[in-house]
Amino acid sequence: MAEEKKGRAVATSTAASIPKFVRGNLSATLKAKEEGKKVAAAFIADGQDEIMRAMDIVPAWGESYSGVCSAKRQAEPYLQKAESDNFSRSLCTYATCNIGFDMIREEQGGTMPEGAPWGGMARPDMILGNGQLLCDPRFKWPQATQHYLQDVPVFVTNMYYPPWDPNIDHHEQEPIYVKYITEELRETVKFCEKITGKKMDWDRLAATVELSDKTWDLFIDTYELRKHIPTPMDTGDAMNTMVPLTFNLGTQEAYDFYVNLNAELKQKIADGVGVADPEKYRVIWAAGLPSWFALGDFQYFNGKGVVFPVEVTYRGCEKIERLDLPKTNDPLEHIAWRWVRYWTHWYDAAKKRSGSTPKVERIIEYIEDYKCDGAVFHSAFSCRSWHAGIMQQAATLKNVYKDIPILIMEGDIVDISSYNEADTHNRIDAFIETLAAYKKRQG
Amino acid sequence: MDYFAGVDIGSTMTKVVIMSDRIEASLIGPTGPEHRKLANRVMEEALGKARLTFEDLKYIVATGYGRINVPFADRQITEITCHAKGLHSLLPTVKTVVDVGGQDSKGIKIQNGKVMNFVMNDKCAAGTGRFLEIIADSLGVPLEKIGEISLAAERIAAVSSTCTVFAEQEIISRLASGEPIANLIAGIHDAVATRISSLVKKLNVEPDIAVTGGGAKNIGLVRALESKFGCPLLVPPEPLITGALGAALMGKDICDKYAAEGQKPTRSSRGLEEATFFK
Amino acid sequence: MTEMRDGNGLATAEKLYTQYGSRARELKAAGKKIIGYLSALGPVEIMTAAGVVPFRLKGNVSEAISKGDAYMESIVCPFVRNVFDLAVKGKYDFLDGMVLPHQCDSIDRTNETWSYTLKLPYWHFLNVPHVTGDPSITFMKEILRIFIGTLEKFTGTKITDEAIAAAVKAHNENRKLMRDLYDLRKSNPPAISGTEMMKVLVAAMSLPVEESSALIKAVTNEVKAKGAAANGKGKRIMIIGDQIDDVAIIDAIESTGACLVMDDLSLGAKMYWQDVDATPDPLQGIAERYLRKLKIPTTFVGSADTYAGILEERFGHMKKYVNEFKVDGVILFIYKYCDPYGFEVPAIKSFIESAGTPVLYLEDEYSTSSLARVKTRIEAFLEMIA
Repeated sequence: MAEEKKGRAVATSTAASIPKFVRGNLSATLKAKEEGKKVAAAFIADGQDEIMRAMDIVPAWGESYSGVCSAKRQAEPYLQKAESDNFSRSLCTYATCNIGFDMIREEQGGTMPEGAPWGGMARPDMILGNGQLLCDPRFKWPQATQHYLQDVPVFVTNMYYPPWDPNIDHHEQEPIYVKYITEELRETVKFCEKITGKKMDWDRLAATVELSDKTWDLFIDTYELRKHIPTPMDTGDAMNTMVPLTFNLGTQEAYDFYVNLNAELKQKIADGVGVADPEKYRVIWAAGLPSWFALGDFQYFNGKGVVFPVEVTYRGCEKIERLDLPKTNDPLEHIAWRWVRYWTHWYDAAKKRSGSTPKVERIIEYIEDYKCDGAVFHSAFSCRSWHAGIMQQAATLKNVYKDIPILIMEGDIVDISSYNEADTHNRIDAFIETLAAYKKRQG
Repeated sequence: MDYFAGVDIGSTMTKVVIMSDRIEASLIGPTGPEHRKLANRVMEEALGKARLTFEDLKYIVATGYGRINVPFADRQITEITCHAKGLHSLLPTVKTVVDVGGQDSKGIKIQNGKVMNFVMNDKCAAGTGRFLEIIADSLGVPLEKIGEISLAAERIAAVSSTCTVFAEQEIISRLASGEPIANLIAGIHDAVATRISSLVKKLNVEPDIAVTGGGAKNIGLVRALESKFGCPLLVPPEPLITGALGAALMGKDICDKYAAEGQKPTRSSRGLEEATFFK
Repeated sequence: MTEMRDGNGLATAEKLYTQYGSRARELKAAGKKIIGYLSALGPVEIMTAAGVVPFRLKGNVSEAISKGDAYMESIVCPFVRNVFDLAVKGKYDFLDGMVLPHQCDSIDRTNETWSYTLKLPYWHFLNVPHVTGDPSITFMKEILRIFIGTLEKFTGTKITDEAIAAAVKAHNENRKLMRDLYDLRKSNPPAISGTEMMKVLVAAMSLPVEESSALIKAVTNEVKAKGAAANGKGKRIMIIGDQIDDVAIIDAIESTGACLVMDDLSLGAKMYWQDVDATPDPLQGIAERYLRKLKIPTTFVGSADTYAGILEERFGHMKKYVNEFKVDGVILFIYKYCDPYGFEVPAIKSFIESAGTPVLYLEDEYSTSSLARVKTRIEAFLEMIA
């Protein structure tokens, strides 16, 4: 992600500092040893950010690095390396790309693979996995990596939230989940203390969590500026501007980034500058990770007057006040409540609309708030966790809401081998035609 | 003199080898679904070449994709085992075999003529002769010429899609935008060699390495594979018949083993008939 | 149901295998409630205690997916897709409900696809954790209580601790009977073939626990009465994988003269090797069995200090099976698009090979369409280890 965006005139200039974040996170892993810090292979959106930041543990984001390799179209040798030890091509390519990279670095006695994008990523001192209702690779990938880094300890936390069931009162279940997550996070802290040999500074953790909350709020305030017509920022940009929230949560730099982005979007609105000129159709990116090697597809949309003022993907936060979190002095319990409510706060709305689901309610809310005319979903073949169930969401959206134009695109997050630009553009063109017809019908 | 026959029914070619203590006759039969079931005709022709009759054959082993459909064979053995056996008799220093067939590719690790490990590609056409055939066809170049043409390339035009359908589209559009055909063909060979080498590298690859199958007749592919494996590859004089040769040799081994115990192997009761049901 | 008598155990299993679900259909007609489940995580003790019939769903490897793809992505586990397709086509129209334990992404991401498409009167997603520490056991008991609550509401009957304890006893007995039958595979050649065994395993998971136990007993007696042949020459094979529920692949192994003598499959050893401990709170024993004792790739274990120790925790049972059942070669058969198993392949392969047992790794769809290719690999493997 966050590759230099040549010719993206419509991109925000704040987003231009994103490569600095991504490079900074990578080089932090490389510098950690001389700074006496421990490196943890970690996964985004798994509730451990503040624990790591408060303990000066440097996260090595495998997902980010695979995204970089993909955007630079340099993932193939790593994918092949993993494949050579019988990792199937149908597995998560974020994981196999990273495992292949680790395998080569280990074989070379710790030297980075030749030509490794952006200088490579350091060998971790520990691996922090997470069993969530999110993604199997988050606990299988650490195990698979350990096969090659056998001395590196792995800890897997479990963070669940009440599953959606229209017949069960999720409010009754929430405390059970919060208690469980809090205990799991406490175990995570113990593990990190053991590896770093340092005790957790609980005040520092509380301050870090407070900073995260502020960042969540600012992020949402900033993104809501995109409701403006014409929208000042597109999903194509959001795939970059998500970086500080996703990879640098709990740091001042992340917060400051959104201060700048917020100011820029306000300026664009004041100047009447939109992503597309003229802006003809507004579309929601309703689910799925993008093809990192084909982010140019967003420009293709923009070039035809189609903008994405909102996306579900990487909007991994919510206004804190909306979550109505119970008061607690335990920062871990606060993280737990924030995590559970982040998922469940759409449940009540889903219960009110027969046949709906929380995921669909969220899409409907965004469609209405951001005045969208259609929805695009992206289905990546090697990633089940984000992409299985998309057809059901699209069908439910049509059933319980209205018959808006929907495009389900197919591709992958890393593996370029089955991507076809001409075919993708043809499908986009056809979708734009249905958007035109739909708008005409709507009057 | 005892005579043994090996019949290798591949997806595109039928191969027959008749041996005594040397190769008496070998024949590569025509391809296509109609001819495939006529393994008996290929066998007849091979017998004619060797001036032998069906009754002269002491044991017949069938191998390859269609091995179960040869009614007159006394035994069926997979092409993996037969390739290893046949190749070892021709090039005894070889430890790794890369077989590039019409519909599949495989890698075999050999020690003393025995299979130590093997891999086969999945059902996708990429990394097989079929992929090259489709691309050659869409470029309007005869299949047997593409190897030579690729050697004339100034550079390898990287082909990003390994899916046959997408690669075909990609090549056509690159051709339209002015990329020389030789560069594109070199790119395709490179892509196929990449797929094959990443398959074979699942084995602990050790030299010497040999290439067999139809792919071994394509000099462009052999060169591309050499660059992937980083060493020269050996090619047997007739790379298509190693499987059938190995099958005939396996037949001889089986008879010898029984003879050592004072017994005779059971034989098929069927004469030189057409292949049976063929999926 | 055909009356179980000595000598017809295998024939009954064959019938239940070919007409899968026929007994559940009869029971439904007799007024029983049938609750489907999908994997080894299905908490059968609780369903039995609730007085419903736990019925494990299977797919059909010979049937192409024709309707399910309209609702479910093709990147989903091919087994899950196939079963879902059968369900959409009405093959399991006798179900009153389903419980879907959280096992993998392919199951939990499609929970709504299942429930909203099939619209069964009862539905429950059982949120089984991925880790196994003490907080997870406590949590597992909590979610089992939630599950019990929903079943009570559905059946209108309270599920007492006594009923759960009795169900635990019945299922432990059932598992022991199946292990006794497995014991008959230790002779050379095994007294029961892999194909016959698969049919028994499939038949058993389609029956209420007492009927399942009666079937296993009848098969065991029949096989014992038949007596063992002497001097087996075929290679002894073990298969490792998840949802293999058809004889096609086993036929492919055994038609070459080899024998399938052991498995580590979801409907085989994984289901039957571990009992529930009788604990004062019966849910404690159940939680511990499903979370800690059951060795499946979706429950994370890794408490040992060394990597070798962790491998032993995860796969030690496989090596034990290899020794106990005198296995000559292992086939590791994994479905495409399976992250939980796919990420284990290099570790399992090297773990078993390090003990000197060769492993053939096969990746395939849940379909017989590619069986010819798979067969060639299996045959070549058997020729290799001959």
